[in-house]
Amino acid sequence: MGEAIVITSGKGGVGKTTTTANLGTALALQGKKVCLIDTDIGLRNLDVILGLENRIIYDLVDVLDGRCKVHQALVKDKRFDDMLYLLPAAQTTDKNAINPEQMKELVTKLKEDYDFVIIDCPAGIEQGYKNAVAGADKAIVVTTPEISAVRDADRIIGLLELEENIEPPKLIINRIRQHLMKAGEALDVNEITTHLSIDLLGIVADDETVISSSNRGEPVVMDPNNRAAMGYRNIARRILGESVPLMTMDQKSGGVFSKIKAIFSK
Amino acid sequence: MRNLVYIKGTKQGLVLQLDDQCSYTDLLTELQAKVSDPALDGSAEVQIHLGNRYCTEAQTKEVIAITQSNSHLRVSSVRSDVITVEESNRRIMERQSETYVGIVRSGQVVKAEGDLVVVGDVNPNAKVVAGGNIYVLGRLKGMAHAGANGNREAVIAASWLEATHLKIDDALETMTDELTVLSEQPEMECAYLHTNGHIIIDRLQELRFIRPQISTFKGGS
Repeated sequence: MGEAIVITSGKGGVGKTTTTANLGTALALQGKKVCLIDTDIGLRNLDVILGLENRIIYDLVDVLDGRCKVHQALVKDKRFDDMLYLLPAAQTTDKNAINPEQMKELVTKLKEDYDFVIIDCPAGIEQGYKNAVAGADKAIVVTTPEISAVRDADRIIGLLELEENIEPPKLIINRIRQHLMKAGEALDVNEITTHLSIDLLGIVADDETVISSSNRGEPVVMDPNNRAAMGYRNIARRILGESVPLMTMDQKSGGVFSKIKAIFSK
Repeated sequence: MRNLVYIKGTKQGLVLQLDDQCSYTDLLTELQAKVSDPALDGSAEVQIHLGNRYCTEAQTKEVIAITQSNSHLRVSSVRSDVITVEESNRRIMERQSETYVGIVRSGQVVKAEGDLVVVGDVNPNAKVVAGGNIYVLGRLKGMAHAGANGNREAVIAASWLEATHLKIDDALETMTDELTVLSEQPEMECAYLHTNGHIIIDRLQELRFIRPQISTFKGGS
């Protein structure tokens, strides 16, 4: 029996889908069987970021409405031999096409076959959010070092804490720009975690290659030298129960990364 | 016949002690007779004691009107030894203190009839509302509304007071210019309603002088 994790944030554009794709990939690379569910019906993106867009035949709504079997709709990512699957969202309808009970049933069924079911939640706190959290056991809240994103994360955490079946949510701070943080122009990691008072699961640096690799349909986590990939890999290891120390952004730029670079340049 | 209205002279003025066993109409008749007595010719402040009689608001007004039909008399107060169960419950609730342990997050509202103690932060866009005082053992960064049922004596106290909105009774203070609020020392502060109708923020140490009635302990040895 696997576990279902919902990735949510409240605000849009903070990197929920990117995080879902990368964490899923990282867990698959660690040898876990992973199923990603895109619940952003009407505005699906996860398939594009994973580069699986052309292989979609059926979608989430088809499964829930009984037009196909679950395994028919699951898209296998051939790069990770049999470890990573995607259940894409429908694009031609909207979030009201499904309901939380259906989602719960589906997720419970998928948990039997997969180690991790990762649910990509749409932005907002309406129907789409309710559908996404319905089947989850755990929740990860993604935020960025912006006040607006942190406020929305606070709201979402409040709602998640009301869900009886979900463990206390964990936090990922995404798109950290160290020069802004150092200059005190962006909220720093400590400020955000104190404000939200939930456990920090990890931090991810802002890196341009995240955008370029998403555009190519290859999650950035596949590149082991990338600093954002490092953040995602660490988070995946923490999800698996390893205790990985939180690296400060300083070390990332000066210490560890230069060491890694040094190794590769030999 | 029993005397239904006693008139007593005290240092504070006249006291009208009204009988609480007779019928209300008899009482009014007697009261009318007493106050029209030409012997009462000096102007005086009058306190009315109703004893164990419950008078509705309309009845109280009637009693005052009859008393003041003698132009020399002015009613300063009406006292009764009884209140309704409803009123009594309301007073109990107002004296009660409710405790919320945890963080009040954006979009959440925590309400209390009486005093409210929050053990944790009140985050931006969260709201705490109390009929009495609000005490926050943590950072108050959202909205706080004390004395919501019209208690203008209510205060808001916090270990860290940097609320966006403070409201006491119906007086609202927005602290939009966050920088000025933040730059001053937000630690251990309290907010109260000044007699000029504006909310004032002061050090928490001043609270015992500003609202001495909040403290229910006497002495302190």
